[in-house]
Amino acid sequence: MAKKVVAMIKLAINAGKANPAPPIGPALGQHGVNIMMFCKEYNARTSDQAGMVVPVEISVYEDRSFTFILKTPPASKLIAKAAGIETGSGEPNTKKVGSISRAQLEDIAKVKMPDLNAIDIEGAMKIIAGTAKNMGVTIND
Amino acid sequence: MTNSWWEIQILCDAVLEESMFWRLEMFGCKGMSSQREGNSSVIAAYVPKVSSHVLDLSALALQVKQDALCFEVGEPSIQWRLIDEEDWASGWKAYWKPQNVGDRLLIHPAWLPLPEHTDRTILKLEPGVAFGTGDHATTQLCLEALEMRLGDHPELITIADIGCGSGILSVGALLLGAKKAYAVDTDPLAVKATQENVTLNNIDPSRLEVAEGSVEVIVDMIPEPVEGIVCNILAHVIVELIPEWEPFTKPDTWGILSGVLLDQAKAVTDVLEENGWFVSALWKRGDWCCLNIRRIN
Repeated sequence: MAKKVVAMIKLAINAGKANPAPPIGPALGQHGVNIMMFCKEYNARTSDQAGMVVPVEISVYEDRSFTFILKTPPASKLIAKAAGIETGSGEPNTKKVGSISRAQLEDIAKVKMPDLNAIDIEGAMKIIAGTAKNMGVTIND
Repeated sequence: MTNSWWEIQILCDAVLEESMFWRLEMFGCKGMSSQREGNSSVIAAYVPKVSSHVLDLSALALQVKQDALCFEVGEPSIQWRLIDEEDWASGWKAYWKPQNVGDRLLIHPAWLPLPEHTDRTILKLEPGVAFGTGDHATTQLCLEALEMRLGDHPELITIADIGCGSGILSVGALLLGAKKAYAVDTDPLAVKATQENVTLNNIDPSRLEVAEGSVEVIVDMIPEPVEGIVCNILAHVIVELIPEWEPFTKPDTWGILSGVLLDQAKAVTDVLEENGWFVSALWKRGDWCCLNIRRIN
């Protein structure tokens, strides 16, 4: 019989750098997960992506064991890469820092689609466009 | 309260999650967690207390609400509180149980009462926040390999433990009868944990020397070549360290390497062979493996 999942937790953390500090400690500790065991597993599987944020979705079972799957990079990272910028704007309404094309927006939405709360590609594009706007990145038609 | 953190919690529509991650990263949070509740996300992020003032958090709350406007969804709710590091660092320990490893060892959490009867050697462990609790496949494989390697005359064997973590492998080797262990770790908390675990297991402190650092440190600690090397870190780190082992090894030195995923074993083996080692046995457990290695003579 399949084990019962008691929690699903998503973490956005740096590849190969997992350690017991927040957010990992509080997020996993409250569910009784062996934090160091998770760190070892995550670091081993992401060591070749150093410098990237590699989100991970962790399923915690009733016996406190866990499994995880690595997810797509954060939308903000993909947007910044497409726009050719290091980071977004602290004042997105008044200070624009870059732009991406609608085709780039669609590409990012396709990459992120499995991880977004969207039922179709238009919904995914809307979420990515919203994130871009909050970063001070405009969409060129 | 020392080592305190601001825990920032945001309850928002799930479509806002990516945008909130961005906003929190901009605020200085090093990583975020989220859990779904229906169509909502509960996002948690953390910043050290010393780096943010309540006024900064109030400003963040305004930005978060402003970010939600362009998504045309309900306004997120945001709250924050101070948490102490110890609140979560020890939480998982409540579920950690004694565990038999190999044929001879019983890994036993230090805070639990000892069993009245056991024919196993008890390794009491307080890992702190260091790697090595005995739960992980790689630690178990290393301890089982040590059991095999130490054989009938463990009192003749000295080991080098590179990346000792909680000290579980050094302490395990000494409890199984090894003459002496030299251990290093780049994490000062691991050095502290190793020292504490030696004391906890009533091992003569002269049988273990531990220091902060890596191979460059252990080279100076070891007066003559060792019989065995144990190294349970990660594949890419092991690969970098292999060429540096020459000064403290001899023709019959063996090694136990883990922290290596099965699909990484070939790359590690190639580097071993380039440096005069060969894999005499590869043990698998789950996705992980342990390489038992010897010198090429």
